[in-house]
Amino acid sequence: MIEDKISGVVITFFSTASAVGKTLISINMAAELARQGYRVCLADFDLQFGDVANYLQMQGSTTVYNAGQRLAENSDYPLEELASVCTYNDVSFGVLAAPEELSQAYNFTADTAERIVNRLRMHYDYVIIDTTSMFSVLNLTLLDLSTIITFLGVVDFIPTIKNMKIGNETLQSLNYDANKIRLVLNRSDSATQLSIREVEEKTLGSSFYHVLSNDFHAANESVQTGIPLVLRKNNNQLTKDLRQLVALYTNHTYQEDADFDEPTRKSGGWFSKLFS
Amino acid sequence: MLYNVLIVERNRLYLEKMAAVIQSLPGFELAARFQEPLEALGQGKVFKPNLILLDIDMDDASSLVKDFTEEFPKASIVCTGEKWQGDSASHFVKAGARGYLIKPFTANEFKSAIESFAKSGMESASQVLTFFSPKGKSGKTTLVASLALALARTTGEQVGVIDADLQFCDMGLFFNLDPASTIVEAVRDINFLSPISLASYFCEVEPNLRVLCGTRNPSLIDRVDIPSFEALIKMSRSLFRYVLIDVPSGFCPTSIAAAEMSDTTYLMTMLSGTYELQHLSRAREMFQDWEDIDERLKVVITRVSPCSEKERQRLSNDLGYSVEAIIPNEYKLVSEAANAGRIALDVGGASLFSLAVGRLAESISLHHHWEAP
Repeated sequence: MIEDKISGVVITFFSTASAVGKTLISINMAAELARQGYRVCLADFDLQFGDVANYLQMQGSTTVYNAGQRLAENSDYPLEELASVCTYNDVSFGVLAAPEELSQAYNFTADTAERIVNRLRMHYDYVIIDTTSMFSVLNLTLLDLSTIITFLGVVDFIPTIKNMKIGNETLQSLNYDANKIRLVLNRSDSATQLSIREVEEKTLGSSFYHVLSNDFHAANESVQTGIPLVLRKNNNQLTKDLRQLVALYTNHTYQEDADFDEPTRKSGGWFSKLFS
Repeated sequence: MLYNVLIVERNRLYLEKMAAVIQSLPGFELAARFQEPLEALGQGKVFKPNLILLDIDMDDASSLVKDFTEEFPKASIVCTGEKWQGDSASHFVKAGARGYLIKPFTANEFKSAIESFAKSGMESASQVLTFFSPKGKSGKTTLVASLALALARTTGEQVGVIDADLQFCDMGLFFNLDPASTIVEAVRDINFLSPISLASYFCEVEPNLRVLCGTRNPSLIDRVDIPSFEALIKMSRSLFRYVLIDVPSGFCPTSIAAAEMSDTTYLMTMLSGTYELQHLSRAREMFQDWEDIDERLKVVITRVSPCSEKERQRLSNDLGYSVEAIIPNEYKLVSEAANAGRIALDVGGASLFSLAVGRLAESISLHHHWEAP
């Protein structure tokens, strides 16, 4: 019975610009949390053109549409039994992909998304959500539900910065607790003439919570192979930055020399320890 | 909104009657009257008319309409005839006329006819082009801004841009504009507007290029309702020869409405080495219901390197459908221009980017030849 009261952490990746790395980072966040032994599900709410299943090379996975249908039939349906599982090197996490058909995506309601996330967080320690870059009814619902919103930005060119500013202000206007929103900068050393400090001071009014290095090659290779960066051996800077971000979220100290090949896997995650 | 009316009428009796009707109506002012079309063409400009009543009961009427639209690009031309000429009417409209009135007419008939032409327009020769992308970051806004400028300069015709990317509209930024009114106000007021008054909601970039900017704040998204948005597109047809619409990415009521109202929809994506071509094909499938899909839906791919005809053909072959245009990878040029509030077309001289945009402008306007800046 007590299981019913458990509510896993929901981390949503949001941005006001496309192609800022939401999908890649949410995949790695899910994989890294799973590597640490948590029960994790990654749900793709970029409904029309979501890339989670593509980037993991898990085309044909169970979709959020399938999950919504099951819950419509039975609101207690254990979605963990339905979700596809991404496994690599003994690390696994659940995946709910974006709908197969565009019509399923177009008619998907925010209520359905809310039911799915609330059901998922009853089982999983962490629910990771990928979104589209807009303030839609669906996204606002997901943002409300979230424990943490990772607002991802890139310092690219002026229109992107303007939209990051508008997005940040809009998020502020939703009156979330200040530490619910984490500003994360991706591709920090990409070719740009704009100063990051200037963006922080003049545009966002606060500094970035975390900064991820630019490593187009590693990111692209991860997409081509379908293997999350944090589950591979080569420890490049981007991978380290991603692990550090997860460490910040889990209040763990990230250790450079963490034994990578043997994941420190706790059986069932900390919820089961607490309540067993 | 004041109509400044110029009358061209060979029949002296009709001319006097029409002048009296105009003078009796509040909101209408008689700018000038001519019995000879050639005199009106030569001298009419000094009166700055925004509405011209043109007698078309003559043999060379079609070419006359064309001459007047060219000479008075900012004015609406309404043809007047003694009887309805169904066959010729569409010729007149194609030549640029806004409407057709039967002579003689009373003040009330005239007023309601002008209002109805103003609101719905008649079918016109304008081209509405919508730029659609499955996901964001397609290079859409950059292309629309540069293409609008290229069309305006090569054709000399009226070009309008509507920024309907309701959340994060960048068109104002690209053109370095500080709009007094946006699409939100235009859509709100559309039922009270005529084409002539709608023009004032657009910001002038160049004498023949105007931009209707998007919302300033994403929370305003709910204020643009679709029937009014459709009315806005329809009315814009009578203001501009080319209307370019930038829509939000993905399928949403706004992007679907704009595509349905358009003569041509450009389906766009940017090459980034991941799954963008799959998304492109998946989005294209949604348009399969259009019987004339090959004419109405054209594919544009950006950041293509090398940007050659061979590469365009290769992409067409791989995709299994024709790629209309490819735009080169000129990230530095494009971002420097945007950072400086300038249009990429105007930066970097005869860049590969401006050549590719110019070619696309040529294919849209057919006759006009593009010369790089």
